Amino acid sequence: MASNSWQFAGDGDESDDDNFNPAPADMSDDENNDKDEEHNHNHRPAGKTVRQASSPVPDEEEEEEEEHDEEEDARPAKRSRRDHHDDEDEEQDEEENEEIDEEEEEEEEEEEDEEDEDDVHGGNRRKRRNKDRRAAFFDIEAEVDDEDEGEDEVGDGEEIEDFIDNAHPDDIADSGRLNDDRRHRELDRRREMEASLDAEKQAEILRERYGKRAPARGYGDMAIVPRRLLLPSVEDPSIWAVRCKEGKEREVIFSIMRRIEERMGTKNEVPITAAFERGGVNSVMKGYIYVEAQRQNDILVALDGILNVYPRSNMHLVEIKDMPDLLRVIKTPNLEPGAWVRLKKPAKHAGDLAQVIDVTENGLEARVRFIPRLDYGVRDDPVFQADGKRKRPGVPGPRPPQRLFSEAEARKRHPRYLQGNPQTNSWNYNGDDFENGFQVKDIKIQQLEVKNVNPSLEEVTKFASGAEDGTENLDLKALAATLKDSAKSVAYVPGDIIEVYEGEQQGVIGKATNVQGDIVTLQVTEGDLAGRTIDVPNKGLRKRFRIGDHVKVIGGSRFRDEVGMVVKIVDDRVTLLTDQTNTEITVFSKDLREASDIGGQGSLGQYSLLDLVQLDATTVGCIVKVDRESVVVLDQNGDTKQVQPSQITNKLPKRKFAVAADRNGSEIRLDDVVREYGGQQRQGKIIHIHRSYIFLHTTTTNENAGVFVTRANSVTTVAAKGGRNTATAGPDLSAMNPALKRNPAANGKQMAAPRTFGPDRAINQTVVIRRGGHKGLLGIVKDTTDTHARVELHSKGKIITIPKADLSFKDKITGKTIDINQRGGSRGGFGGGGGGRGGGEFGSRTPMASGGSDRTPAWGSSRSTARTPAWNRDAGGSRTPAWNDGSRTVNAYDGSRTPYGGATAYGGIGSRTPAWHSGSRTPAPDGFGHGSKTPAWSAGSDSWGSKTPGYGASAPTPGASGDAWGYTPGASGGGNSSSAYDAPTPGGGLSAPTPGPYSAPTPAAVSAPTPGAWQGGWGSGDAVSAPTPGALGAPTPAAYYSAPTPAAYGGVAETPGGPGYADDD
Amino acid sequence: MFFLHNLERRVTLHPSYFGRNMHELVTTKLVKDVEGTCAGDYYIIAIMDAFDVSEGRILPGNGLAEFTVKYRAVVWRPFKGEVVDAIVFSINPHGFFCQAGPLSIFVSSHLMPEEIHFDPNATPPQFTNNADMVIEPGTHVRVKIGGLRTELGEMYAIGSINGDFLGCLQA
Repeated sequence: MASNSWQFAGDGDESDDDNFNPAPADMSDDENNDKDEEHNHNHRPAGKTVRQASSPVPDEEEEEEEEHDEEEDARPAKRSRRDHHDDEDEEQDEEENEEIDEEEEEEEEEEEDEEDEDDVHGGNRRKRRNKDRRAAFFDIEAEVDDEDEGEDEVGDGEEIEDFIDNAHPDDIADSGRLNDDRRHRELDRRREMEASLDAEKQAEILRERYGKRAPARGYGDMAIVPRRLLLPSVEDPSIWAVRCKEGKEREVIFSIMRRIEERMGTKNEVPITAAFERGGVNSVMKGYIYVEAQRQNDILVALDGILNVYPRSNMHLVEIKDMPDLLRVIKTPNLEPGAWVRLKKPAKHAGDLAQVIDVTENGLEARVRFIPRLDYGVRDDPVFQADGKRKRPGVPGPRPPQRLFSEAEARKRHPRYLQGNPQTNSWNYNGDDFENGFQVKDIKIQQLEVKNVNPSLEEVTKFASGAEDGTENLDLKALAATLKDSAKSVAYVPGDIIEVYEGEQQGVIGKATNVQGDIVTLQVTEGDLAGRTIDVPNKGLRKRFRIGDHVKVIGGSRFRDEVGMVVKIVDDRVTLLTDQTNTEITVFSKDLREASDIGGQGSLGQYSLLDLVQLDATTVGCIVKVDRESVVVLDQNGDTKQVQPSQITNKLPKRKFAVAADRNGSEIRLDDVVREYGGQQRQGKIIHIHRSYIFLHTTTTNENAGVFVTRANSVTTVAAKGGRNTATAGPDLSAMNPALKRNPAANGKQMAAPRTFGPDRAINQTVVIRRGGHKGLLGIVKDTTDTHARVELHSKGKIITIPKADLSFKDKITGKTIDINQRGGSRGGFGGGGGGRGGGEFGSRTPMASGGSDRTPAWGSSRSTARTPAWNRDAGGSRTPAWNDGSRTVNAYDGSRTPYGGATAYGGIGSRTPAWHSGSRTPAPDGFGHGSKTPAWSAGSDSWGSKTPGYGASAPTPGASGDAWGYTPGASGGGNSSSAYDAPTPGGGLSAPTPGPYSAPTPAAVSAPTPGAWQGGWGSGDAVSAPTPGALGAPTPAAYYSAPTPAAYGGVAETPGGPGYADDD
Repeated sequence: MFFLHNLERRVTLHPSYFGRNMHELVTTKLVKDVEGTCAGDYYIIAIMDAFDVSEGRILPGNGLAEFTVKYRAVVWRPFKGEVVDAIVFSINPHGFFCQAGPLSIFVSSHLMPEEIHFDPNATPPQFTNNADMVIEPGTHVRVKIGGLRTELGEMYAIGSINGDFLGCLQA
C-alpha cells in the first residue's frame, strides 16, 4: 500500500509540472495527501534553493539522500521528473552525478526500501538522523537558513501526522541535542519569538498546528467506514494461493513468521505483506497457504527454502473479488455437553448416535457416550468358528446390535477382562469404559458428525430411558440445539411471520414472501423498515407467533402434528394448548406453523380418537390419544395402555342402536347422558356400549381425553337423548310427515289380517323366482307359509322353499306378470265385474281424485261424529254398504283388495283402509304436532282437512251408513243433517271423482245409487250390485243429483264436483 | 359482540308437509335448524324474523321443496381482545375452562396474574391468590379473549385474566 501511495505522489508531481523535486521522504511518511504536497512545496523550495545556492556539496548530499527515498519510485517517473529539471543547469549536473551513484547504490538501497516498507517511520527517522549525522561532517553551520530548516521540520511534523514525535518541538530539541547545540539556539530563538506573539495569535498557531490532527488521520481510524471501501482493489497487493503439504499449512505459516522476524531489519527482509492459511480437516482450502505480496517473485523469495510448501509448482492468483471470501469466518460447530452427535470412526459404530459428555480443553476431543455394540466375544468363540480358522480381527462381521452393556454377560464370557465398580455402575471391559450401560469414549471431534445429526425420537429415548433412576431425563434444550444445527429442519414458507434475531437486521419482523434456498425474502411489517422488502439468510431467523395463534407442530418435535393455541412465548420456545387433549406442550417456534383451522391429528391409520377397538378376544378399549406411531387405549377395565396399531385386532364399528339398561332398568343408548351411581359420580355422554361396559365422554376433565369406562348397570340416566329430542323438537320437516309415515306399517298390519282367510292364493300359481340362487327359474307354488312358499321348479322337478317376496307370479297362459290377489278379487268379487271394469285400470287415480274437496262439506258437517261411529263400527259393519263402497273404492285404490272387501266385513274398510287410516290417524292422538293441521282438519276447509276427513269420511261413512242402517238414526241424531253428510260422502267424495277421470257415467252410477241408498234405505243397499254396472246408462244426471245433495250444506258441495271434473278434463 | 345480521338459508320441506301453512313450517324449521348454532366465527343467538321466504322449488330426486329464506338474526361474534364474562366449569393444573354462553374459553395458568396459583389440595381444586380471588367451578370470571379457533360448528377460545379488572367477579 505504501508503495502505491508513493506512486501516486510521483504522478501528482508530474501533473503539477513542478520545478522542484518532491520530498519523497516526507511523502512516504504520509499516506498520499495532496494538501501535504502543497505544504511541502511551500517550504521545500525555499530551503532547497538556498541550499543549492550556498553549497553544492551538502546539497549533493541531500539530493542523494532524497534519492534514496526516491528509489522506491518507479524509475520512469523519476526520469520524467528529471526532464522537467533540465532547464536548471545546476540541477542537471547534479542529476547526472546522481545517475551514476544510483546505479551503484541500487542494490543495497533495495534492501533499505524493504525496511522502509516494514517500518516506514523508523526508517525515515533513521535517515533523518543519518542526514544530521552525516551533516556533521560538513560545515553546515554556515547555513543561513537554519531556521528554515527547523521550520521545515516543524512543518513536516505538522503536516505529517504520523510523525508525532518529530512534530513536537521538544523532540526536535532532543534530536538536535544529539548532534550539536545549534538546536538549542534555535529553540531559544523560537521561544523568544513565540513569547513575543500575543496569546491570541499563539492560540491560532497552536490550533493550526495541532487542530487538524484528528481529521487528517485517514479513514482507517474513522469510527464508521463503509464496508465496501475496505474491500481490496487493484491497487492493493495480490494474493496468491501456494500449494503446500496438506495438514502442514499452519506449520508453514509459522515458518514464514519466523523468517520474517529473523530477517526484519536486515537487507533481505521478507518481501510479502501477509500470509495465512485456511486449513483444517474439513476445509476446502486445505493444501494451500495464501500469501499476499506485490509481486509473485516476492513470494518465491519469501518462501524459498521453507519446508512443505511448493511455491514453484503452481501458484494461483486469487481474483480480487474472491479475496474477501478467503477470510470468511466459518463458524466452527460448537459442541456443548449434552449435544447429540453421530460417530464416524469406530467402524463398528459408524452412524450411531452419541451424546457429548464433555469436550476437552483444546477442543480437539470430546467425551461421548453411546450404546455399545458388543457381542461379548460370542463370535470369537471357537464354537462358532466352524472351519476352525481364526477369524481375521480386522474384518468386521455383521455388527452386533446396539445393546446396553451388561455386566452379567461380560462376566460370563470374559471375567478376566472385566473390572469396575458396581456401585457407580462403571466398568472397564476389554479396554473400553462403560457407564450405566453406555460406552464412554474420548473421540476426536473430526471423527464426529456434528452437523445434521437429526436424532430420531427412538434413538434419543434409548438414551433417556437408560437413566439410572429410570426417569425420563431428556434434555430438550440440547436436543433442540442439535436439531437447530441441521439445516434442513428449518423450513420457512411464504406467509410465515418471521423475526430476525441475529445479525445485522436483528429485530426486524416481517412476513416471508419468498423463500429461495437459504435466502428468505421478508416484507417488513414493523418498525422503521415497515413496507420494505429485504432478503435475509435463514440462519438467524425464527418464526414469530403471538399468544392466541392457532398453530400446528411440524418438524422433528415429538409433538409433531399436534395442533393448538399459543398460550405463552419465551424466546423461541412456544407453549401451546393442544386442541385434542387440552394439554400444554412446549416446542420451538421453528417447529410450528400457523395452522389452518381444521384440527389435525385425530387419527393414526384407520384408528382415530375415541374409536372403540378390539385389543384381544376379551379386551376392548377406547382410543384416548393418538400419537405419531402409537395410540393410547383405555380398556374396559379402566387401564390405559400404549399400543401400536399392529397390536389392535380390529376396530369395532359404532353400533348406533346398541342398547343397555342402566341400574334402574331404563334403556340407555348412545349419546345419552348418564351419571355413575356410586364412586366419583362422573357424568358423561355415552360414546360406546360394549356388552355390559359403557364408555363415557366428559368435558370436565381431560384425563384420557375425557373418556372413562364403567359398567352399564352402575349408571343412572340423566338425560336420554330420545326423550330430550321429543321434548324439544318438532317433527322433522325434511322427512316424511310422521303421521303419514306410520301408515305403511299400519297398513301392512291391517292388510295382514285378511290373509288369514281362506287358502293362500299363491298356491298353484306359476311363479318366477326373482332373486337368489334360483333366480329366473319357473315353478309352481305347492305350499306356502306366511312368508315362504314351496315352489316346485319346472326345470328340476324339485321343490324348494323361497321367500314369497322373491316370487313373481305369472299368468299360466300368457306368462304376464300378474297380481294374484287381484285375480282373486275379480274372481271372488260379487260385483267385481263392474268394479274391475270401473276401477281396475284407473283405480290408481282414484286417490288423487279423491284428494278433491268434494268430501269436504260432508266432512265439515259430519265432523268427528261421523267418523267416530264409522270407526268404531267398521269392524262389525254390515256387508252391504261395504260392498257398495267396496266395489267402487276398491277399484279405485287397488283392485287386489276387493276380494277382501267382498269376502269380509273388512272388505269395506279394508279397501279403504289406507285412506281411512291416514285420515283417522292424522288428527289422532299422535297428531301432526302442528296445530296448523288440526284446525285445518276440523275446519274441513283446506286441503289437509279435506283430504283427511275425505279418507276418513269415505270409508267410515259407508261403513257407518252400513251400520247406520241399524244405526243411523242414532248416529245422525240430527236426522236431516246426518243423512246429509252421510250422503255426500260416499257419493261426492269418493265415488264421484274416482271414475270421473275415467268416465262420467261411473261416478254417476255410483253417486246416483248412493244417495238413493241413503234415501231409499235398505233398498239401495240391496241394489248395490245393480247400480254400478247399470248406472252406465244414465249417469250424468245422476251426477248432478249428487251434487245438489251436498249443496244442501252450502256451496261447498259443488266445489268438489267442479274440480273433480276439471281435473279429469 | 352482538350484531343484528341479515342472513340467508335454504330450508327444505318434505312434501308431506305441503299445504297452506308451509311458510309457517319453513320458519319453524329455520328456527329449529339455525338458532343456537355456530356459523363459522359467530353464533346465531336468536332469529328475529324471516322477512323473505322464496317460492319453494322441488328438488329433483327426493321431492323435497327448497325455500330460500332471508332472515334477520341476533348473532354473537367473539373477538380477539374482547372481554367477556364467563362461568368456570372445569379446572386443571394448567388452567381453567370457562363458558361464556356457548363459547368455551380456556385460561392458561400462564395467562393469569403471577400471584394466582393452582391449589390441588382444595376441594374442589382451585386457582387462588390466597386472598380474595378463588377460582373454582361455578365462579364467575371476567376474561379477555386471547385467541379463537373455529371448528365445524364449534368455537374455542383461550383467554387471559392477566389485566386490570379481569378475573373473579365478586358476586
